[in-house]
Amino acid sequence: MAASPSRPSTIIASHPERTGLLALALGGLALVGVGARWVTGPVALVVLALVAMAVITVVATALFAGPDARRKLAPYGLLKPGTLWLALFYLAPLVVLARLSLSELPSRFAVEADFTGTFENYRRAFTDFGPQMGRAFLYASIATILTIAIGYPLAYVIAFRGGRAKAILLGLVVIPFFTSFLIRTIAWRSLLSDNGPVVGVLDTLRLTGLLDAIGIMEGDRLINTPAAVIGGLTYNFLPFMILPIYVSLDKIDERLVHAARDLYSGAFGAFRKIVVPLSLPGVFAGTLLTFIPASGDFVNAQYLGNPNTTMIGNSIQDQFLVQNNYPLAAAMAFVLMIIITIAVIVYSRFFGTEDLT
Amino acid sequence: MTNHPHRRPQRVDRRQFLIRGGLAGAAGLSLPALLAACGDDDSSSATTQAPGTTAAPATTASSGPGSLFFENWPAYIDPTEDGLIGTVDRFTEATGISMRYTEAFNDNNEYFAVIQPILGRGDRIDPDLIAPTGWMAGRLIRLGWVDPLPLDQVPNAVNLRPDLRNPAWDPAGEYSLPWQTGFAGIAYNPEVTGREIRSVEDLFDPAFAGKIGMLTEMRDTMGLLMLGLGIDISTITSFDQAAPAFEQLEAAKDSGQIRRFHGNDYFDDLSNGNFAACIAWSGDVAQLQYDDPRIQFVFPEEGATSWADTMVMPKGAANRDQAAAWMNFVYDPVQAAQIAAWVQYVSPVAGVREEIDKIDPELAANPLIFPDAEVLANVYPFASLSEDVEAEFDAAFSRITGA
Repeated sequence: MAASPSRPSTIIASHPERTGLLALALGGLALVGVGARWVTGPVALVVLALVAMAVITVVATALFAGPDARRKLAPYGLLKPGTLWLALFYLAPLVVLARLSLSELPSRFAVEADFTGTFENYRRAFTDFGPQMGRAFLYASIATILTIAIGYPLAYVIAFRGGRAKAILLGLVVIPFFTSFLIRTIAWRSLLSDNGPVVGVLDTLRLTGLLDAIGIMEGDRLINTPAAVIGGLTYNFLPFMILPIYVSLDKIDERLVHAARDLYSGAFGAFRKIVVPLSLPGVFAGTLLTFIPASGDFVNAQYLGNPNTTMIGNSIQDQFLVQNNYPLAAAMAFVLMIIITIAVIVYSRFFGTEDLT
Repeated sequence: MTNHPHRRPQRVDRRQFLIRGGLAGAAGLSLPALLAACGDDDSSSATTQAPGTTAAPATTASSGPGSLFFENWPAYIDPTEDGLIGTVDRFTEATGISMRYTEAFNDNNEYFAVIQPILGRGDRIDPDLIAPTGWMAGRLIRLGWVDPLPLDQVPNAVNLRPDLRNPAWDPAGEYSLPWQTGFAGIAYNPEVTGREIRSVEDLFDPAFAGKIGMLTEMRDTMGLLMLGLGIDISTITSFDQAAPAFEQLEAAKDSGQIRRFHGNDYFDDLSNGNFAACIAWSGDVAQLQYDDPRIQFVFPEEGATSWADTMVMPKGAANRDQAAAWMNFVYDPVQAAQIAAWVQYVSPVAGVREEIDKIDPELAANPLIFPDAEVLANVYPFASLSEDVEAEFDAAFSRITGA
């Protein structure tokens, strides 16, 4: 082996991990470069060809290297599709967005922003959109809690009491997805309208005064209120909470509950000490699937809200599509992303899954 | 305009008109070369081009009739339905030009956001004609993203209403021809308001708290509010002049007076009582009244705004001659009457009223389609703002609308 160190198979055989990591990193970097348009035109094609050749070479040589080298190389090979995909379609746009957020438009309708390294966009993103940001997280948090409150019992019943109807019940949870998200949200407008069925029933039951007093209704109106926006978010993201909770509940071995009961635990005690902890990973996943998109959502606030209930998603959409201020919109998107990331990290520290599995 | 020309299926009155109108249209179709014949065909109308200026797009004859792509607002033209031939099909039949007509122009700002990166880099977009509202046409002209129209090939352009010549957004009148025009005023549901609405001030009546809608189209909403405060919108040049109206809007929004800012989607809210009153476009209401005769449209006593959606040719448009043939076709009062009767906005073509009167006097008497002089004396176009001032207006407006 030492006699011919130039042979790729030999290098791989001697340092399979390093080679795998290097190929992965270089391939990812190359795709970020192409995606972010650092390299363009024919050069980009050459770079892409090199990435492809490198992948093929590594795979091919790994096939001829010894089984030991192959075993060490395999994880990097398996990581490759995902990594390269993320490099091109996630990291590259992120790099473009980051650069854009530090740029300035030379004139209002300029196509290309000039990269100046300014933090002005971030200053504005933080100072000008405080209320929208606050509402986004407030509404998303309430909606997430409501989806747990509604989704957990439902998932529990499907998982433990579903019996043969399990598949049908799960199907019913998913069926609304066959209709467009947008259409379902707009349908709420007719349901909740001032002279619509829901307000009519509440009126008949003399509940409007009570609901007004606790802040759910505004006067005799249900639509175009914060409650309608939160309700829309809860409704739209409910299946994303139910499904992961169902999966984690369904995995629970019911004999554990029986064992707890045998050991003189009450029904609630068994639920609290056995079922809840074992289903927390599902709640955790459901929370992420619900809270993250809900805090960036703009559809519910647009169709079910009023001018005082707009969320940060509406502001970002407005900056991108109406004001044409891409640098500011990019900065706002970054701020939102950073805050969500921090929130998720903090949340997972307190509620994480490491010690639960 | 945000989605303003959202048309719905029409009821009996208009259908009757179209059936009768269709006969007149069919008479025009039977002529061998309709374009050339247009001048002769409207000999009854006072405003035709001089005889002899016929068939300007003759150049197309040598290379076949060709094709044309027009991107317009949704439901902004009479379709072929109920056995009637729509304007697009009549045009194709008359000229042989195959036409691609799409309705992707939904919102001035959103459409601009789509074409900006393309036209801004000097590339061309597919449509040969697009339909921005006047102020947006002005922006495109200022940016140099549209070509001058081949008006020498559009003899019927002389039929343009005199008051629309040399508009503020296109002082020389060489880049744009209006497609339809209209007004923004107040629409209301008398069952909810319980009284007649007469002025802009009524929108701020605390009795209607949470039941007022305003347009996302900045110029129509702010224009009406400024008129309500006695500010002349047709001469405005700085943001400071408009500031009181923005303060009024912000106060109304903060107090919950405004239920929401809307595009064209206000019919249902008006009809089912969610809105007591809202700022609305005249033609929309003319149509909505077919479905719900209760809905009223008023020109506020302080004045209403007027606007025009235009036809402009994006830079580098491929089919100039065909675009000219199209504009010539729709500026024939006979054809324009067909369009106006269906869309129910104010036609920019002179002589349309006479054409409609011949077929359906009732429609010709509709004040929303043919406003009288008294109304016209009290409508104002929004001044053409400089780029910086426009940016100030847009920023202030978007801050208040909460987006």
